Amino acid sequence: MVEREDFLNTPVVHMKLNSNMTVDQLIQQFKKSGSFGAGRLASACDAYEDMVRDKDCTVFLALAGAMVPAGLRTTIADLMRKRLIDALVSTGANMVHDLIEALGGHHYQGSWFVDDYLLYKYHIYRIYDVFVPEEDFVKADETLIKMFEEIATKTDSKPMSTNELMSEVGKRLKDPNSIVRSAYESKVPIFLPAMRDSEFAYIHRVHQKRSPPGKGLLVDAFKEVPELLDITSRSERLGMVVLGGGVPRNSVQHAALMTGKGLDYAVIFTTDRPEPGGLSGSTIEETISWGKVKQKANKVMVIGDALISFPLMTASVLERLGPGFHRKGNP
Amino acid sequence: MPKKAAEKKTCGNCRYHNTYEYPDTVFCFAKFSNRENPVISIFNSCDEWEDKLQECYCLEEALAKRGKKPK
Repeated sequence: MVEREDFLNTPVVHMKLNSNMTVDQLIQQFKKSGSFGAGRLASACDAYEDMVRDKDCTVFLALAGAMVPAGLRTTIADLMRKRLIDALVSTGANMVHDLIEALGGHHYQGSWFVDDYLLYKYHIYRIYDVFVPEEDFVKADETLIKMFEEIATKTDSKPMSTNELMSEVGKRLKDPNSIVRSAYESKVPIFLPAMRDSEFAYIHRVHQKRSPPGKGLLVDAFKEVPELLDITSRSERLGMVVLGGGVPRNSVQHAALMTGKGLDYAVIFTTDRPEPGGLSGSTIEETISWGKVKQKANKVMVIGDALISFPLMTASVLERLGPGFHRKGNP
Repeated sequence: MPKKAAEKKTCGNCRYHNTYEYPDTVFCFAKFSNRENPVISIFNSCDEWEDKLQECYCLEEALAKRGKKPK
């Protein structure tokens, strides 16, 4: 039986801040508080540190929401090079935005308080307070459509997985800050389980119109499933960091379930709520009921803006690991 | 914008246009799909011209820019 004093073990220690503290020192103060979002973020740092220090753990990043347009592109590319991410499962849109910048385009700091019809008339697209000029999309589309033609010729229009396609695209890029390029160089697979729900659909459509019948690029949506399962089955342990949720989160969880393993580590950053029943807001406990996360997993869900929490966690863990830390890729 | 210019068939008020070098050139996906040169002046037009699906400042600003150029 749980005794009364079991509830009163660890007092809240009030945060002590100073003018020259590092990110990890701030996180340690969060840990001493142990409360609310601060406590959860401190737990997320511990869980991610454990995940990457575990030599036999394959670390997945599940990426949804417009994290790349908002500035996480280089961070993710760097984490891949350090093999602090072993596999990426993303929305198609995040990779499109990576490619827009890899091919010379930009995202701009804007405002949410703006006349959107005016933006429409100026051919500018808005992602909350980030602006993207239409011409940067168009120029990326033009290059990618031609790249698709080259890849289709090379592969003789044989069915490819999204991962194989991203590898072929990455091979053709030069930008070292690109996630797709970094993945290619670091041999980190990129899976896009909802690829067609993005500009890739339009790129493929135009490519198809330009190609002779039966000669276009063919992406088989199911081909990535055995590729993902191969990774989860060969991995001793499995970890995932989730930004947002959606299809990428469930693709990782489902792969862990399909190999009968379940995840050993789970760090989820979301703002979603569980009550409406959507996957992005589902608690990790709910995920345990499906067998997708192990009951004894090292797990935490951080409720808040991933664009704030994820860089804080990453900076804290990089500080703990130090510059000499080397991690081999898994599996 | 002078009314006549706005009513004239140009790539800058055709549904197939996207901006390429704003406001002077547009990218025409219809031409690109047919393997024709897709980057064209906003003042061009062709038989595929279709009206009304885009409301934008491309043409107005290109006309204003052209008006400012020394002769």
